[in-house]
Amino acid sequence: MEKPLYTISAQDLCIGYTRKKQEIKVHDGLNFQLLPGQLYCLLGPNGVGKSTLIKTLLGHIPALSGSIYINGKDLKKLSAEQMAKTASVVLTDRVSSGNLHVADLVALGRVPFTNWAGRLAEADLHIIAKAMEATKINYFKDKPLSEISDGQRQKAMIARALAQDGQLIILDEPTAHLDLINRHEIMQLLRTICKTENKSILVITHDLEVAIETADELWLMQCGEPLIQGSPEDLIVSGKIQHLLTSPGLYFDIHHGRVRSTYPDTVTTIHGPAALCQWFLAALYKAGLQHLGSDYEIHLFEEPFKVMVKTPTGGFEGETIRAAVDFLLMAEDERLK
Amino acid sequence: MLKARGNLWQKAGISIIILLCMFLINIAIGSVYIPIDSIFHHLMGNELEKSTWVTILDTYRIPKALTAIIAGVGLSLSGLQMQSFFRNPLAGPYVLGISSGAGLGVALLILGSSAFGWTLMDGGTDLINGGVWSMVLAGSLGAILVMSMISLAAWKVKSSTTLLIIGLMFGSASGAFVNILSYFGEAEELKLYTVWTMGSLGGISGWPLFIFALITFIGLLPAIAQSKAYNAMLLGENYAKSMGININRLRWSMIISTGLMAGSATAFCGPIAFIGISVPHLVRIIFRTADHRTLLPVSALLGASFLLLCDAICQLPGSAETIPINIVSSLLGAPLVIWLILRKNFNAEF
Repeated sequence: MEKPLYTISAQDLCIGYTRKKQEIKVHDGLNFQLLPGQLYCLLGPNGVGKSTLIKTLLGHIPALSGSIYINGKDLKKLSAEQMAKTASVVLTDRVSSGNLHVADLVALGRVPFTNWAGRLAEADLHIIAKAMEATKINYFKDKPLSEISDGQRQKAMIARALAQDGQLIILDEPTAHLDLINRHEIMQLLRTICKTENKSILVITHDLEVAIETADELWLMQCGEPLIQGSPEDLIVSGKIQHLLTSPGLYFDIHHGRVRSTYPDTVTTIHGPAALCQWFLAALYKAGLQHLGSDYEIHLFEEPFKVMVKTPTGGFEGETIRAAVDFLLMAEDERLK
Repeated sequence: MLKARGNLWQKAGISIIILLCMFLINIAIGSVYIPIDSIFHHLMGNELEKSTWVTILDTYRIPKALTAIIAGVGLSLSGLQMQSFFRNPLAGPYVLGISSGAGLGVALLILGSSAFGWTLMDGGTDLINGGVWSMVLAGSLGAILVMSMISLAAWKVKSSTTLLIIGLMFGSASGAFVNILSYFGEAEELKLYTVWTMGSLGGISGWPLFIFALITFIGLLPAIAQSKAYNAMLLGENYAKSMGININRLRWSMIISTGLMAGSATAFCGPIAFIGISVPHLVRIIFRTADHRTLLPVSALLGASFLLLCDAICQLPGSAETIPINIVSSLLGAPLVIWLILRKNFNAEF
């Protein structure tokens, strides 16, 4: 049999709930495909239907209309057990079993494959060991869940999903509540797994910067709009990434690859190296000093860092941005009197 | 679960030894002390020097010890299943209203006899001989009634928390009916009913004992069959579903299993307190495992041992008096669990 091209393909999918025989549509007209060996990041505001989409893809709730094919087979015709052998998840649900040991948690990934007693065969043990190897969790595999950190717990949950050994792994906000380093580590780990094991990975995240760095494809979901898909770089260059930021106060800074507050036109001119100017300007905005007027002169020097400010009534020289901003605040106060 | 196999035999072995010790202690102790070696002699089928000992052992102590084992197994496994299914450490075998249902049945029989004018009781006080069947029947009918209403509800509602609340509500409602009956009941009947609520392991032998064992055994089967599903439930319902576990099947198997085991235990012995909720916790704390393939056998064995121990204390060794089982199981068990909880960080244990 020829291997199907797509891990998942969805046509004209409408997701939502049925409450009291009334259909509540959450998102309509979704069309997408997932390829093996690709990492997808789904971004969108809260309430846009990301979690509903996961539940629909896993077959926990039915699609209101449209069709989903998993590995070329109709989702509706797959049993829960077949589905479990194809897709595994990392959810936001907190796992509270303190007595469960990490290795046993990973072993639970084999549940769909074992007999009624859950006896692990040699092949199962091998897959479990491989999953723990790939996620680098061997050093804490004998600890109970109550004694590991949130970052370690998330890696253990990923190892469990990996041990389930399906073609698809779906993760719901795997980096929420994690520190900066763990966020990058987890996403890099997913990327490595995706490439070496040739799996399709779909990550729901709010972490735009990390998503741009690691994803092969970004999906941007907005209420009532079609799904925007494309490589992060293309979406940035074409400006489509701005669709994510519907609030007028925010924009995506194409130079620095991050979300910023929109700065209104400034009158103040700052002289000096561009990188320093950018941060001085940021400090001015925070202090509400964006309209200083043209009779102010600001010079910045590097190595060692120095600020020189000239105002119509006086001048300032200092080594920190904060001192300069404090001086400007005082100067503004006097001017307004 | 990786290394569980070897560990399981070790843990089960310890538990079996504890159970055997408790069994021997239980039948040795009472108003008359029977030496352990004589008990061995008797169990081997040899003659004993005192024929009264044979009578005491055969007609009273051994059936009572067997009753304690069966009830201990049924109640602790019901409690374990409830806690694992509802993911709630406070759940016990009675959260779905089984004991209140059985209580209502028995209350109708005892307290209702004057109100409705029936005399099923063979004189009202003779529980040991003629009364046991009518009590068991009334208790079973009450438990079955409440369990069928819970099942109807379980059919309608999907959320397990909702089911838990509905179970508690059914329990309160049956409790209120019992209160009505108690309020209008005669003083003597009231005493009889109160004594029933304190639990009793005595008076069951022969056919009733066999039927009790059979029902408990049937109830045991769904619990064993679902041990893998209970393990998956450790991660919560959503993860269990994603691993292909049929939650609906698990829920029905839990209702049937606990209905049979806790229902029959309550019908035969009265609402025995504490065992069902505490034994699974004790096992988790002592053996530090979350694997149901260990938890199930070990909870069963230690539940039986614990009830045997409580019953031995009930006999107030050396005196002719006995006290009801619930007094001892609560007085002994509560401090034990509190001590273990305080000593080992309980929050992380469940």
